[in-house]
Amino acid sequence: MVVGFLLLLLMPSSRSATSISVVDGNVVVGEMGEMLQLRKRGRRRRGHVSLLTCVVGFLFLCQVSRLAAAAVLHRHQRISGSAGDVLEDNPVGRLKVFVYELPSKYNKDWLEKDPRCLTHMFAAEEFVHDFLLTSPVRTHNPKEADWFYTPVYTTCDLMPNGLPLPFKSPRIMRSVISYISTHWPYWNRTEGADHFFVVPHDFGACFHYQEEKAIERGVLPLLKHATLVQTFGQNHHVCLKEGSIVVPPYAPPEKMQSRFIPPSTPRSIFVYFRGLFYDVGNDPEGGYYARGARAAVWENFKDNPLFDISTQHPSTYYEDMQRAIYCLCPLGWAPWSPRLVEGVIFGCIPVIIADDIVLPFADAIPWEKIGVFVAEKDVPNLDKILSSISPEQVLEKQRLLANPAMKQAMLFSQPALPGDAFHQILNGLARKLPHDPHIYLEPGQMVLNWTEGPVGDLKPW
Amino acid sequence: MKKAAGSHRPSRMRSKNRSGFSSDQTSDTAFRSTSISFFRIFIQCMFCIGTLVVGFRFTREAHFLRASFHHPEDSFSRRTGARMGSLVSIGNRSDLDLRIQEEIANDSEAFRLENSETIIRSRVRVDVGRHAILIRPWPHPDPFEVIQAHHLIARVQMEQWQLYGSKESKPIIAITTTFVRSFQAVHLTGLLHTLSLVPVHVTWIVMEAGGVTNETAYFLSKARVHRLLHLGFGDAMPAGLKERGQLEAHMRVEGLRYVREEKMEGIVVFADESNLHSLEFFTEAQKVDWVGAVSIGLLGFAGFEEPAQSRIADVHQEEVGAGRRDNLFARPTFEPQVQGPSCDSKGNLVGWHIFDPLPLEEEVYTGIMLAQNRRLEWPNFVLNARAVWKTEGNQPEWIKSWDEWVTPKDGSAPDIKAILRDDKQVKVLGDCGRKVLLWWLRAEARADSRHPANWVLDENLEIIVPAKSTPWPDRPVRVPSPPPPPAAATVGTGSKRGAGSRVSGGKGRRSKRRQSRPNIS
Repeated sequence: MVVGFLLLLLMPSSRSATSISVVDGNVVVGEMGEMLQLRKRGRRRRGHVSLLTCVVGFLFLCQVSRLAAAAVLHRHQRISGSAGDVLEDNPVGRLKVFVYELPSKYNKDWLEKDPRCLTHMFAAEEFVHDFLLTSPVRTHNPKEADWFYTPVYTTCDLMPNGLPLPFKSPRIMRSVISYISTHWPYWNRTEGADHFFVVPHDFGACFHYQEEKAIERGVLPLLKHATLVQTFGQNHHVCLKEGSIVVPPYAPPEKMQSRFIPPSTPRSIFVYFRGLFYDVGNDPEGGYYARGARAAVWENFKDNPLFDISTQHPSTYYEDMQRAIYCLCPLGWAPWSPRLVEGVIFGCIPVIIADDIVLPFADAIPWEKIGVFVAEKDVPNLDKILSSISPEQVLEKQRLLANPAMKQAMLFSQPALPGDAFHQILNGLARKLPHDPHIYLEPGQMVLNWTEGPVGDLKPW
Repeated sequence: MKKAAGSHRPSRMRSKNRSGFSSDQTSDTAFRSTSISFFRIFIQCMFCIGTLVVGFRFTREAHFLRASFHHPEDSFSRRTGARMGSLVSIGNRSDLDLRIQEEIANDSEAFRLENSETIIRSRVRVDVGRHAILIRPWPHPDPFEVIQAHHLIARVQMEQWQLYGSKESKPIIAITTTFVRSFQAVHLTGLLHTLSLVPVHVTWIVMEAGGVTNETAYFLSKARVHRLLHLGFGDAMPAGLKERGQLEAHMRVEGLRYVREEKMEGIVVFADESNLHSLEFFTEAQKVDWVGAVSIGLLGFAGFEEPAQSRIADVHQEEVGAGRRDNLFARPTFEPQVQGPSCDSKGNLVGWHIFDPLPLEEEVYTGIMLAQNRRLEWPNFVLNARAVWKTEGNQPEWIKSWDEWVTPKDGSAPDIKAILRDDKQVKVLGDCGRKVLLWWLRAEARADSRHPANWVLDENLEIIVPAKSTPWPDRPVRVPSPPPPPAAATVGTGSKRGAGSRVSGGKGRRSKRRQSRPNIS
């Protein structure tokens, strides 16, 4: 459209005899000579006039298009984080991933033993594997690969109640790394600096569900140089390695998308939360679970009519979230929770009560503009904080949440759609390219200490 | 914490006891009597108890002081680590089985090797351990913040309506019939609030049987509708239900006549005061072209009473053999009754669902509301106001003209369904009648029940008229009382706060039982 107008602008000023001026609507056929002369002179004057009309028309159309765009934007707003407007980037063509062929004891056997691994909130590792096997970024030639992926399911050793046991995970990881380092030369080439692993467990690659023990273990020493794709993210924490990609926990997309209610249903709940406040089984006295923040929420706001908080899990949980303005996402035993994903999908502004948390895709999504962050020590003043946010800010946040790119980025959709969490992971990996040349080690140079770590980890698996 | 406190307590107690004992001895020398032993034992017991209390307090304070000077990194030092380890092991997940226990044993073995030196990672700023649960001193809602929150909710809902709400906004004309009675406040207040919340322009036509009264006007003054018409209808409302239905039909026709004469535009809705409307009903009503039909759910006396239940239970008893006695006491379940249009799978109107009450053995009380007419109610239908206008030419031919249907030939009360020549043309609302958008609460007080005007008691109860169906005796219990003081003579004239005339005392006692003052009936 712009190019067309520029051409039209140029047209009247060209003064060529055979020019076809569409603005004038006159088509000159070179038969009548004097007609041509007259037309030429007239065209000069008319040229100026038509130039003016062109400019005016161009500006008018600009305004109209801007208004039209504003009318479309009225419902949702573009999201651009610290890395720019990258949510809708297409990673295809920007990176190549090689997927190692591992014996089935590392991945398929776990799935056969317990198919619950595909539905719990750590199912990201299985779905990323599935996605990469059929993705256009996959390459079968390891020599041209930028990143190497190891499909090992470390979070699939489930207890009868469904929670994963992390005790074998370090050994499984060591075993798989020794396998790939002996069968392919690419691990030893960089000691894992261009490899990435998906470790969605509670505290990532620290492989423990209790925070003190996880901190004491630290990130598995063999993964020191690798990139970790994990759900855990907390600043100044051992278990968040620098350069990790934080992803949302897995939430079943079909289950959530089948429970939408009409958006004209008025949002009448002010604050909504369903979940435990006291973990009576593991922390009967309180104070350990959630660092006392959830208990503080309960004690301060249990009789506040604006706060719809309870431990009862209703069957209309998703529908209720769509009728709420704020959804609390406090930390539990780990700072991340699937409530963030649910809040974003259902348009409920997440109120994040977890100090120093790093939220998923933090460089692509500007979480400060979308959610409300409350320090754990400010929990007693939560009602004051939430009611003092101005309506314009609230509407702005809701507009950002209504952006379909935002909702798509939080989901591991089956089949993969553009802009979903899989693509955000690939975008994150692509943003880390090109690799620093000094990650490539001299042959024979060893940086990692293979005997580092607790004795129990060194047992082969 | 408890364990630690417990471990400290005995040592403290012992030391305190020793000091207590020495002070006991010094005081002992003062007393030289045979009752010394008793006194000593008593003193010792007092000191014991005192130590328990004070010692416990001191250990708590000591722990608090130690904790406040604690640095987070120190929590990983060996001493506290061991204690933390022991504390944490109490709080392990209770559903761990033996397999996990041995894993933990393996794990902790590894840790003991590592913990030989202090593990302080300078990167760690996380505070692992027990935290205080912060509760503010007045953990109750602040009214100012509640109001602010409600403003926020209102603003969000307004934005939602603008973005996603229905674009059609035909005005609504609600026609209601009412009369002054006990339950008028119950029904009318609900309807008032509902109509105030309808987001489009609302004209509320209230027809009152027995003429316009101040009581009804008092309620209607709180309505926030765009136009309110309070009209009176001459005849008083009769007591019988059939007659009431007929009078209401006449009153509604009167309301429609008003619409016809004023040529009002919009959608006519028969908002009975005993109906509960959802706001979605008013949104659905916007879709009406000429005539629409909705489903009404019926609440109350749709077959839930005792006699009907016992009848069903009898039937069960016949069916079930003697062996299965427990089934007899199972509550029979009833389907909620719905009255309205009925569609086939393609969405065409094929018939009407009419309420069919379960048979009753006897009337429970005289105020029972049975749909004796077995026909559709007026609120089942939603009209376009133009359907009753004088310009007959503009209406489709399947709508009868005004004079044809308003006065039925056989002299019975007019029925809205008579406006239709062809049932099939009716537009069925609410997902083809499957969604119940309004409910009929069929509950009414007795025709002769009394209530104070406007339900406000600004005077003390001076004249008490016993209601007939209360379990209290009709005649007051005569208690022999002293002769009333001379001021009591003014009671009958209705003076409000005569001094000393109230024997039962003050506003608090409204009990009708104690009739110690003369009863004026």
